[in-house]
Amino acid sequence: MSKFERQTLTVDGVKTVVHTAGHGEPLVFFHGAGTVDGFDFAERWTDRFRVIAPYHPGFGESGDDPTFTTMHDYVMHYLELFDMLKLDRFNLVGLSMGGYLAAKFASEHGHRVKKLTLIAPAGLIDPKNPMLDILAVPGEAVPGLLVSDFEVLKKKLPEKPDLDFMGERYREATTVARLFWEHPGDPKFMRYLHRIRVPTQIIWGEEDKIIPAGQAETWRRFIPNADIKVYKGAGHLVHLERPEAVDAVARFMS
Amino acid sequence: MAAPLRFNVMHFMPYSYLPENHKEFKSTWVSFPNKYFDPEKGHELYNRYIGELVLADQLGYDAVVVNEHHNTVYSMMATPNIIASSLVAQTKNVRICVWGTPPNFMLPNRLAEEYAVLDVMSKGRIEVAFPLGTGMEYWSNPVNPATAREKFRESLKIILQAWSEDGPTTHYGNHYTYRFLNPWPRPYQRPHPPCYIVGTGSPETIEIAAELGFGYASVFVTQARAKELNEQLRERASHYGHTIRPDQLPLLTFVYVAETQEQAEKEYIPHLQRFFEDYARTIPQYLAPPGYLSVDQLKLRAATADKMHGGFDFKAISQSFFISVGTPDKVANDIGDWTVRMKTNHINSVMHVADMPHWKTVKNLTLFAEQVMPRLRQQAGAPQRMAAE
Repeated sequence: MSKFERQTLTVDGVKTVVHTAGHGEPLVFFHGAGTVDGFDFAERWTDRFRVIAPYHPGFGESGDDPTFTTMHDYVMHYLELFDMLKLDRFNLVGLSMGGYLAAKFASEHGHRVKKLTLIAPAGLIDPKNPMLDILAVPGEAVPGLLVSDFEVLKKKLPEKPDLDFMGERYREATTVARLFWEHPGDPKFMRYLHRIRVPTQIIWGEEDKIIPAGQAETWRRFIPNADIKVYKGAGHLVHLERPEAVDAVARFMS
Repeated sequence: MAAPLRFNVMHFMPYSYLPENHKEFKSTWVSFPNKYFDPEKGHELYNRYIGELVLADQLGYDAVVVNEHHNTVYSMMATPNIIASSLVAQTKNVRICVWGTPPNFMLPNRLAEEYAVLDVMSKGRIEVAFPLGTGMEYWSNPVNPATAREKFRESLKIILQAWSEDGPTTHYGNHYTYRFLNPWPRPYQRPHPPCYIVGTGSPETIEIAAELGFGYASVFVTQARAKELNEQLRERASHYGHTIRPDQLPLLTFVYVAETQEQAEKEYIPHLQRFFEDYARTIPQYLAPPGYLSVDQLKLRAATADKMHGGFDFKAISQSFFISVGTPDKVANDIGDWTVRMKTNHINSVMHVADMPHWKTVKNLTLFAEQVMPRLRQQAGAPQRMAAE
């Protein structure tokens, strides 16, 4: 039984589902471009933080808004949601695409963010360590690329993908395509990254097959004081494969 | 009195020299390496195929049809207007149907201009169908499949405005801004060439045809589904105040005519099998890039694809699609039945498939023109035929 309580809100017309658990300072978690990994891993944070894990529009339990075509739309969505939740200042953790979003949010609205953790964040245009163009990968090949040890992810997937599972993945891929099909990278994002001035931690799985861990050093160019931790034996979903990485987030944020 | 029947010849112009190892590739679209395209052979094929459509003009067909696909052996017509231009110069009577360039892959004014140039050059022999483009085309062209439908709508609006309203006009939309929409030339046919939408039956696309009063050419859907789609179009079009005429519902058929049933099957089936198994071979990922379909359509199509799994079965496939192979009598009977059932007088026949040699194509074109068309035209002349249903 999950510790999380489920709350449904309407944010600027979009059904938005938020999972919340724990006590302490608020910690917002932005998930990545898929939601099969779930929020259970974040239970490790709940003894020290009030964890707030929303589903982005177009993903998981939240509704769709086909007018969301840029990351800016998501920043605006979250400004609205945080106002509704009366979250003035909070810790922010983002994974993969959620890391991109968290970094963008922190570069634009730094005064709202207390500390920032980026887990295998997307968003950089880094020709020496290029991100895999995940939109070009056949759906059935994606799970195998997400982790180093497939057993970790296997229990979160249906034994044989049924139509509903396929439909849900297609829906999330559609949301991702709206954002990134024509322009997987946004040079303007990097142009303003230096404005992130809050304490920042960057976490990566050394064997990440989606976004190479080599990008961590590129992030350092934009955020010179970032605390970088790279975990051996873990892939893109380092938070599922290495509980100590999840604990490191809690320690850094405390 | 029923309207006269109309006979099109539709050509895919495939690259018919597949390499020996082609079965190693799951798809002959999108990613099939273009090193296997030999320009010498391509030269020979273009000339041959265009010649076959010129022959169709001489044999008395009403129209020839070209279409657009990318990155594939299925069709060498990446730029169908260039093929059409050659046909304009080499034919006298046939209508030339470009069914067609996906508007999303070209600037709308440019597409309006190209069709207008062809229409003026041919003295009004051009007809146009607008496809959204298959899923495969969205992997081959830098256009977002997730916003393709709204862009498609906007493009159509611009093209129709360019053709129908005296310029200069303006357009301010989500995808395009025109400060001076004023293309020269204007089409020969007023206000514009006959227009269709061509597609595989997404409800969203039918709705656009209905709204604009366009024809709808369904392709690669089953007989039952094609009938449903025709009815849907009639019903939805009437909702917008349009009445769909029979000639606005072109019926896609695959035909092969020979002296005997046995001979026809022997001469044709291996090519048809290769058409389905090799030339149309693709993978689900390419068929449905993210956002190209609604989630409901994706699930519906995935469920159907599961059911259709299995090897090539000529009998099953010819009952599923409009495929007629046999003597002139047999083919005339099949097509006669279909036109009644589908309430259309517009027969759009694919007469060459896959690696069918030139002689078979010429034989098929000739026998159909000389022995099938007269039978059908005679039958259609009898008024009870269309009223029989």
